Amino acid sequence: MIFLKDVCKSFVQGDETIDALANISLHVKRGECVVLKGMSGSGKSTLLSLIAGLAQPNSGEVSVDGREISKLPELFSAQLRRQKIGFIFQKFHLIPHLSALENVIAPLIPENLSLSRLDEKAKSAMEQCGIAHKAQMRVNRLSGGEQQRVAIARALVNEPLLILADEPTANLDEKLSRELIAQFERLKRQGITQLIATHDPLFFDLGFVDRVLEIKNGEFL
Amino acid sequence: MIFKINFLLLDYAIRSLMRRFNKNFFIFLILSVLIFLLASVLMIADAIKLELNSTLKTLPQITLQRFIAGKQSDVPIERVEALLDIEGIRSMTPRLWGYYYFKPAGVNFSVVGIDAYEEQYSSTLSKVVQKFDIKLLEKENGMIVGEGVKKVLSENYYADFFNFITPDGKWKRVQIAGIFHSDLALESNDLIILPKKLAYAILGMDESKATDIVVHVANVKEIPTIVQKITTRYPDMRAITQDDIRISYQNIFDYKSGFFLALFTVCAFAFFIIVYDKTSGLSSEEKREIGILKAVGWSSEHILKEKFYESFILSLSAFLLSISCALFYVYALQAPLLRNIFMGYSELKPAFLLPFSFNFSMVVLLFLLSVPIYIAATLIPSWRTSTLDADEVMR
Repeated sequence: MIFLKDVCKSFVQGDETIDALANISLHVKRGECVVLKGMSGSGKSTLLSLIAGLAQPNSGEVSVDGREISKLPELFSAQLRRQKIGFIFQKFHLIPHLSALENVIAPLIPENLSLSRLDEKAKSAMEQCGIAHKAQMRVNRLSGGEQQRVAIARALVNEPLLILADEPTANLDEKLSRELIAQFERLKRQGITQLIATHDPLFFDLGFVDRVLEIKNGEFL
Repeated sequence: MIFKINFLLLDYAIRSLMRRFNKNFFIFLILSVLIFLLASVLMIADAIKLELNSTLKTLPQITLQRFIAGKQSDVPIERVEALLDIEGIRSMTPRLWGYYYFKPAGVNFSVVGIDAYEEQYSSTLSKVVQKFDIKLLEKENGMIVGEGVKKVLSENYYADFFNFITPDGKWKRVQIAGIFHSDLALESNDLIILPKKLAYAILGMDESKATDIVVHVANVKEIPTIVQKITTRYPDMRAITQDDIRISYQNIFDYKSGFFLALFTVCAFAFFIIVYDKTSGLSSEEKREIGILKAVGWSSEHILKEKFYESFILSLSAFLLSISCALFYVYALQAPLLRNIFMGYSELKPAFLLPFSFNFSMVVLLFLLSVPIYIAATLIPSWRTSTLDADEVMR
């Protein structure tokens, strides 16, 4: 499902070049649940961004579902992201002045679906995340936990094959974190591939997690 | 591909416009005012030019006036005969006209004297005058009046006649022999047509003189030569040609246009500030939204399409509203305020209706000056942001 080979990514900050990832290689099979652990700044988020095609590597190969996303034209990488990948961001990245429903359907808009199909998909994703009753509320009026559910519903609305989650429990208390973990377990049972970047110890001893990889200074340990 | 309508995107664009209602409404307002003003000015200019051209066609080719001590004076009618031997002159007609001050209402009537027995007048008058009694006119005891004159006289207890007072203090009782049709109200409102003899008496003029003489020539190219011959023979006469009138009107028109140019410059300046503000970049909120949309699977094409819909809806609705308002304002309301500023309050008398002339090329020009410029100003910064990595934009 995910294949990375000798991937390097660096950022320029002023006169300094920071190597976020150095010769990273990774293979995640379909249906597998992999946890990436590491401290802040270790390169976890950068790795997820490269896999989702949100950023381009300086060198190396990044493939998702058999297609090299890093070399796809922008139109096709967006399509791949929209149809195959659900991304749960650490800071939720919801559009604040939109309602929960509008945020959830955002990935479906380019697909130009019929209204009934759109409604059906949005309803299903929101019910699955227990947030359907807040559909019409603007997301900036929702609590942190509710916002997280909206973000997950948005990631699930396209019935993706791959879920990428970046520090999904960073803004949640322990109770909400456990609810979220239960959600990941359900997704695992549905056969959805998951790559979860976190430094939350709750994830390290979970039965449904197939592998825990540690990353430090842009390299796997 | 870009013109395939995605109704969900369109819906998103409309909602997006409504979400930033205040900002977009302000832009809509400025854009509308600018297009409305420009369209109104161009429509008025078009209508005036059209009217001017049709009016000029009806004006005499040459009008001869006499000036003594720098003031206009009556022209001896004998000069008509004396001038007819100039080659190229087809006909010459002495005209008799003047103003009669009606003190009770404080208004001036325009008095014109005609030869009522001449067939050309009687047949024309019978077409444009209601309740026309030709016998009264022929008996030199009647007059044809405009609706405005009739109204003023009626308000002052003169229902069927009026007692003119001649300059030597005598009374002249004149019956109303007809009223101009109401559809000629603007042209004939203050007009009184009298038999020539009666007009001479009322205006206190010598019957051997005319107010001015109109000249028709066989070949318009000979007008400058003929004018030169006339003024050489009679140095106290001034010849006004159609071209002189056209230039005079044009000067007034150009002078007034300057005012609108200044007004337009202010509006255009406001518009370009908006355009500059839009092209110079998006707000951090807008950038972040683009980043998020890209992250959830929108491509640059979707972002640009959505921005295109937004700017197209806003600018096209402003354009359509402005053009509709300008059409209504100029042709239905006859452009109050602007029309007077443009033409002055008396320069182009008699008053006339701005004739409808829909200039399609002008509308296209206005469209090209507003809608595509605004769309481009919106799309350029969105395109710049959408080509960046979503990861970078969201950070």
